[in-house]
Formats: sequence, C-alpha cells, structure tokens
Amino acid sequence: MKYPLSWRLLDGLEAAAAVLWPARLRRLTAWGLLAPALVLVGVLVIGLGYMLEYSLHELDLATYRLTEAYSLTNYQTILDRPVYARVLGRTLLGAVLVTAIAVALAFPYAYALVRTRSAALRKALLVALFLPFFIGQVVRAYGWLIVLGREGLVNSALAGMGLPTVDLLFTYPAVIFGLVQYMLPFAILLLVPALAAIPEDMELASESLGARWISTFRHVVIPMAKPGLIGASVVVFTLTLTDFAMPEILGGGTSDFIASAIYDSFFQISNPGLGAALSMVLVTLGSLIVAGVFLVAGTGTLGVRGAK
Amino acid sequence: MRGSLGKRLVIWGLVWVSLVTLSLPTLIVIGASFTAGEIIRFPPEGFSLRWYGELWQLDSFRAALARTFQVSLICTAVSLPVGTLAAIATVRYRIRFRNAVQVYLLLPFTIPLVVSGLSMMILFGEIRILGQLWPVGVALCIINLPFMIWSVAASVNAIDPEIENAAMNCGAPPLQTFLTVTLPAVMPGVITGGLLMFILAFNEFLVSLFLTDSRTVTLPVQIYNSIRSVITPDLAAVSVLYIAIALIAVVLLDRLVGLEIFLRSK
Repeated sequence: MKYPLSWRLLDGLEAAAAVLWPARLRRLTAWGLLAPALVLVGVLVIGLGYMLEYSLHELDLATYRLTEAYSLTNYQTILDRPVYARVLGRTLLGAVLVTAIAVALAFPYAYALVRTRSAALRKALLVALFLPFFIGQVVRAYGWLIVLGREGLVNSALAGMGLPTVDLLFTYPAVIFGLVQYMLPFAILLLVPALAAIPEDMELASESLGARWISTFRHVVIPMAKPGLIGASVVVFTLTLTDFAMPEILGGGTSDFIASAIYDSFFQISNPGLGAALSMVLVTLGSLIVAGVFLVAGTGTLGVRGAK
Repeated sequence: MRGSLGKRLVIWGLVWVSLVTLSLPTLIVIGASFTAGEIIRFPPEGFSLRWYGELWQLDSFRAALARTFQVSLICTAVSLPVGTLAAIATVRYRIRFRNAVQVYLLLPFTIPLVVSGLSMMILFGEIRILGQLWPVGVALCIINLPFMIWSVAASVNAIDPEIENAAMNCGAPPLQTFLTVTLPAVMPGVITGGLLMFILAFNEFLVSLFLTDSRTVTLPVQIYNSIRSVITPDLAAVSVLYIAIALIAVVLLDRLVGLEIFLRSK
C-alpha cells in the first residue's frame, strides 16, 4: 500500500522527535518549550546584573572611569541633589495626571465600542484606535510638533481669528497631552474585555428599578469594570513613569522625566554609575507601586490564567 | 447604544474628543507632507510630491529603511517560535514554579525600556557585539516578547484541551497532534503576535537609540535625531510611510483574525 508523501514525512519527523526527545524526557517537555524564552529573557537579566554592578561604583573624576571599590555614593548623590527630587516629583505627577485623563477618556470609548449596535460604527472606532496604536511614539510626537508649533495648526488658527499666538510647545501640559494621546489605545484595549464581560441586562435591571444612567454607571458599570480599570491604570501609569520620547520631544528639555535624567547621566555627564543608580531607583519605584496596587486592589485583567 | 439622550450626548461627546485626539496628528502629518514650501506652516503652500521625491533621493533614508526592515524581520522570526512555544508551555502544561516563571517572562515588560536598553548596551559592549545589526533585532524581540506570549496565550486559553486528547486517542503521535491540531488552533494568536512584533520593532526607538550607531541607525532613531534639529517637510513624508505601514497592518489584522477579536470579554 502506498502512503502519501506528507504521511511519510510526518512519520519521519515523528521518529526523529522520538530520538531527540525520548518519552522518558516527557516530564520535562514544558521546560523544553520554555527554554528559548528563558534564555532570551536571561540576556536582559544579565544586562540588569551589569547595571546593578555599575551602580555600586563611584566615578573617579581623575580618570573618568568607575572606581574598583564598592560604595553607595551614587545613591547618596541622588538623595543629596535636589534636582533629582524635582525630576522624580514631576514624573510621578505626570504619571498620575496621564493615568487619570487617559482612563477617563478611554472608559466612554470602550463603552461605546462594546455597546454600539452598528457594526460599521464599531469597525470605524476600532480602526481609529488601532491606527495610532501601530504608529510609534516618535512619529506621533512629530505630528504634535506640527499641531502645537509656533507656526503650527493651533497658532495659525488663533492668528486667523486675530488672536495673539501662544507658546504651546516645550511646556509641561504639551508633554502630558502627548502622553495621554500615546496611552489612550493601551487604556481602551485593556478596558474593553472588562466592559464586554458586563451583561447589558445588568444595566437594564438597574434602570428598570428607577436608577438614572449616571447612578447605573456609578453603582453598576464602574464597580463591575474594576478589573479593567486596574489593569488599564497600572499599565498606563508604569509606561508613563518610564517614558522618554514625549518629555524629550514635546518638553524640549523643560520637563525632563526620570528616563531623561538617566540618559543624561550616561551620555551628557558621562557618569554611568550615577545613571545605573537612577535606573535601579526607577525599577524599584515602579515595581513597588505596581505591587502596592496589586496587593490592595488585585491584579485585575492583568492576571494570567493557567492550567488547573 | 440604548439610553437617554443625555447619556448618549455625554458618551459620544467624550468619544469624539478621543477620536480627534487619536487622529489629529496622523491627519496633520499627511496634510503637511504634500506641501510645496520649504517649511511646514498652515495653511500649506500649494500641493506637491516634491518631498517624497527628495526623500527617495536620500541614500541615508533608503539605507535606514532597509536596516529597519531587516531588524524587524529578525525580531519577528525569532519571536514567532520562541513566543508560541513559551505560551503553549505556560498555559497547557503543569509546571513547577509557574508564578515565578510568569513573573520572569514578564520582566521585559515590567523593566522600563530605558533601563532594558542601557542594560543590553552595556552587556553587548562587554561581549563585543555592539555596532552590529542582528543584536538590535534580538534585543527588540526580547523587550517585546511578552506581547507575543500574551497574544498566543489568549488563543491557547480559548481552545478546548479535549480536542488534543481526542487526536491522541485516535492514535496521533505527539508531534502530529501538535502540528495538525494545536498549532492551527492557536494560529489567530500567532498571526496577531507576529504582526504586533513586526510593527513594534519597526517603530521601536528608545532601545534602538542605545544599540545603534551612525552606521547602523534605524529609521525611528533617524527621525528622532532630525526632529531635534530642524523640522523639514521630508520628515512628514517619512511619517506618512509609517502611517501607510500601520494602515496595512490594521487591514491585515482585520482580514486575518478580525479586529473584533479584541472585544472578547475576559
């Protein structure tokens, strides 16, 4: 009897697999599948090890190299210089503002996306959401430069109405605005699954019991969407906390975030030890805040389900 | 959407604010790229394709574009098998230290990009591979790997484990079960993840900024460097290229898996 070629090929592969990965290794299959990913992430972990090591060495100003001896001088420097406290405060405030505005705007968008009856409208909302999501930060920041610039769209419109022009670019609000625009798709995409899980009957029940729509939102929809709100807030907050491009491009040096301070330590003042210490502070701060939120409010939609 | 007029006014009003915020930079960039003038101003001076022509004449642009494609392809090619296998392993198999493994695999997402980029810059410098192009592709794969794993894991979660048992019951050996049952079932996740990895790598700028030099600079880094000097309309033409690629990706995603897949509840 003649078998098709594809069968024989598959049998060959199967035999090869049985030799390479015999049945007694079956218990380790999961680790075999995970191995490449573990190795790749390992590259990052080794790099972080170097970073930690760098942060424990002071810069020798005579040779401009890191000294051999271990010390906590770099961390002391961060505490001593008020400029780092200011940058940290600006970054945290920015992250809080961007999270609040982005989630507040994302909520109605996600709600409309889930509840609209019109398939065409839903598609349009989805495309308007994914198109900017697939365009990188630099290109989007460039768009805002054209909109907010001295001869940009807003100022031209103001001049056209006979009003004085304003300096919008290179200000803190410009950075916040750019970041909100960047984070909005993330927030919407993380809110949608939580809102989709709320049966519309729930809202109907609330309204048939006499609740106005605002009360229904406050007491039914928002509490039920909590996992999504947590997920969206955590992701937007951490991404904003560590952002580099928007504060650099739209802030123009006036509103540096921590990432800019790290960059400057490495490339402007050539003190990798200090930059590494700032990096460790940023990693620790971000992790602590996320862990705190998870402890208080649960992991929301970010929790990963696994085999039971 | 049902409900009172007031509710619809408030919701759709806020949706419009979001729509304008999301779309304005894109639309403005497209408009600005067709100007005939030397600088970008409003209203634009005339209509022309001259900036697209000048862009195409620029060797540095063409080289950077080719490098960006190369880096994105390396990133996608590495992450497809690695991410797919890891996602299947974490969802389908009982593994010891599951939580630790998951936290570890999420590290690229939880570690700030600026820190990841500098860490790998230091490491690649130590092992003397800094200045080559392939490590950039691998680095972009590492930092975006959680997105690949997420996409596939969502698909793995959605399939019924009984169909794999059924295949084995019918006598299919493990590899055949994997190739003919498991893999086709998780394909939507693999496609979404692959597209996402390509797009993220094609747009990635911060990690690339640390890992490239003037000979290996990729397009997003080059745009960033140009933005900081003078804003000329040729940058708008480059940006339109990015918008076009994003549009292609959205259409592909819609055709292959459907954008509505993201509206599933969890």
